[in-house]
Amino acid sequence: MKRATFMAVLFTILALAPPASAARIEVQWWHAMSGVLGDRLNEVVEKFNQSQDKYTVVAVAKGNYDEVTNGVIAAYRAKRPPEMVQIAERGYLTMLLSEAVVPVQDLLEQKGYKVDFADFIKPVASFWSYKGRMSALPFNSSTPIFWYNKDHFQKAGFDKPADTWQELEKQLYAIKAKGISECGTVLPGDFYWSLLENYSAINNQPYGTLANGFGGLGTEFVYNKTKVVSQVARLKKWLDDGIMQIAGQGFSPEQLFTSGRCSTFVNSTASHGNIERNATINWSATFLPHESDIDPPLNSTIGGGAIWVMKGHTPERYEAVAAFLNFVAQPETQVWWHGATGYVPATKRAYELARERGYYKDHPTREIAVLQLSRGTPNENSRGFRFGNFVQTMLAQRQEVEAVFAGQKQPQQAMDDAVKRGNEILRQFEKLNAGKDLGGDR
Amino acid sequence: MTVRSSVTWRDVAVPGQPRTAAASAELGSRDAAAASDRAAVPRKRARPVQEPGLKRANFGEGPGLPTLLLLPQFLILLFFFFIPSLRALTQSVLLADPFGTTVQFVWFDNFKALFASVEYRQSVWVTLQFTVGQNVLTLLVALVLAFATDRIVRGRSVYRTIILLPYAIAPAVAGILWAFLFNPAVGPLAQMLHSLGVAWDPNLNPNHALILVTLAASWKHICYDYIFLVVGLLAVPVSLMEAAAVDGAGPIRRFVSIGLPMLGPTVFFLTVMNFIYGFFETFAIIDAVTKGGPAGATNILVYKVFVDGFVNLDLGSSAAQSVMLMSFALICTLLQFRYFDRKVNYGV
Repeated sequence: MKRATFMAVLFTILALAPPASAARIEVQWWHAMSGVLGDRLNEVVEKFNQSQDKYTVVAVAKGNYDEVTNGVIAAYRAKRPPEMVQIAERGYLTMLLSEAVVPVQDLLEQKGYKVDFADFIKPVASFWSYKGRMSALPFNSSTPIFWYNKDHFQKAGFDKPADTWQELEKQLYAIKAKGISECGTVLPGDFYWSLLENYSAINNQPYGTLANGFGGLGTEFVYNKTKVVSQVARLKKWLDDGIMQIAGQGFSPEQLFTSGRCSTFVNSTASHGNIERNATINWSATFLPHESDIDPPLNSTIGGGAIWVMKGHTPERYEAVAAFLNFVAQPETQVWWHGATGYVPATKRAYELARERGYYKDHPTREIAVLQLSRGTPNENSRGFRFGNFVQTMLAQRQEVEAVFAGQKQPQQAMDDAVKRGNEILRQFEKLNAGKDLGGDR
Repeated sequence: MTVRSSVTWRDVAVPGQPRTAAASAELGSRDAAAASDRAAVPRKRARPVQEPGLKRANFGEGPGLPTLLLLPQFLILLFFFFIPSLRALTQSVLLADPFGTTVQFVWFDNFKALFASVEYRQSVWVTLQFTVGQNVLTLLVALVLAFATDRIVRGRSVYRTIILLPYAIAPAVAGILWAFLFNPAVGPLAQMLHSLGVAWDPNLNPNHALILVTLAASWKHICYDYIFLVVGLLAVPVSLMEAAAVDGAGPIRRFVSIGLPMLGPTVFFLTVMNFIYGFFETFAIIDAVTKGGPAGATNILVYKVFVDGFVNLDLGSSAAQSVMLMSFALICTLLQFRYFDRKVNYGV
């Protein structure tokens, strides 16, 4: 009965559909974008679908990054993976070594598309390439920037936040002492990314051996011997002195900033959309601070996601995939996406285009991320982070930092433990992937 | 009558018992069968197979129909218990890439790593504190509420309904509710604690976080215990209570000296159920209230299985952990089967 109804509906749809669409090749793209970002992503897909009549890309929201990853793993094991999937930066090595993906650059070249991979912004390109070849197409790339409440700073007699952590600390204490705001800053949910990893890159501190993992799977964490320890001690001090607040479970730290409760907030440039929409305050943004004895500061590194192509599909479908990836890499698409979301344009040409059009005159804060990402020449400490099981090591580290916040451990002890746990996790990844050549990708 | 059918099916299989005799019993009318059924009760203990009027459920000849009737339950068990358990067992001795493309057999390395890990031991300790706390709190409150049920004369059904309400609320929703009420920045109950001079902050203080999830988990489960206790109290012979009342025992004395001891088996059963609830069904509450934090203070075993398997993609360790959990549940169940049946006698 149900089947009959279903067939009837199906035939009706087929009968009504224009014949041209029957010839379209359909491919799936699973992604993790929700809210405003999800709408924008759908617009990109819609633009592509309307730009030609051979292929249809179907974007499917599969929850957050973890859920998308689990979804694609289950689908791949069931031999029904989507053609494309969006995976966060921390999953890079897992995807690269999974033997379940087709390198993007290989696919595009094989299908005859001439994407200028040299044109991608350095930290973006190097993060997503393996031995100089792009393995996944950077789609939504971001980097943390420093958001602040203009009014709070002006009331306290400051033009803008200071460039160094030392000066900034004085400002935040002053703002609190004068009773201008309840808290100087709020702990971001992904503080390990912005305040520890990017902190290390900007301040030229090694995070792991072998060029933060770019030199091979034998890498080991070393951040317990760097300024990261004093950075954790600083955060703990701010927390104890009421300079920094924790939003806690169920509340977004962003709300504590946009509502005017806390004066500053370190967060991704991708929150432009949300902050523009939700903020009731006079906000602005600037570069992340650096240590006073580190000058000049280095570039920050990226976060966000890239599009991976899964193995196991027909050549026709890969035609569709290649056409779509080529479309995404075009400067026009990049500029539009940059403006619509706050993510950085992935290529230099797209950035030039946005600047020529005077986009940054009206939106000065949108340029910060690009400038911060591309300042100076990236070295081994700032090129990026390439660790196996990076989500797992990060969660272990976060737990140890929480132990510092809870007063259970001293910063040095906690970072020693985090490094020890992290290295065990790295060794397990190395053991699993023994023999898969990763040496010398510097 | 229908309850009996399972007994007779077993009886049929007894060697030496002619099948035709059992089948002929079917021919008797419904009333006759019922009457002889009642009559047969005293003799049953001696030789149950020879009860003449015992109704036999008609499954026809052979195992065909019974098998068919068992099939749905069997399939559910197969797909949701046996196959997953087997997968967990195999996965627990493997080191595997999440996509399953690279697999190494590592014997018991996953278990060894587990027992050597400080975090796992912490998780066991946290789980123990959490489940014991939850158990005691749930039972105590449910006992008080059940005791009070008898004392309430007006609006008893309203009282019962209100107590049963939390059971209808999804665990995730309950979790968010509690997290909000006790959020140090905006929660009204947290504000109350602050005004009392308690520096309440479950986002920072591990003890506060553990207390919060224990409260939330208990609140969700009190009604379950409550139902069983109320029913258990109803089964206490009224004559005993009345006799005690005549002897001058007050309601509390009667409850403590007569009601509670008679509730022994129920309390034992509930203790086991509470442990199973604490071990397995509190996942959503933890996820909504603390996500296992801060510093692993509420990272109970079942939540750790989830995080290691589905966030960290460490399938081997996650499988090893679920095997450990599974064994634990098995032990619980065996304990219950072994002791529950024995102590169930009221001896009245």
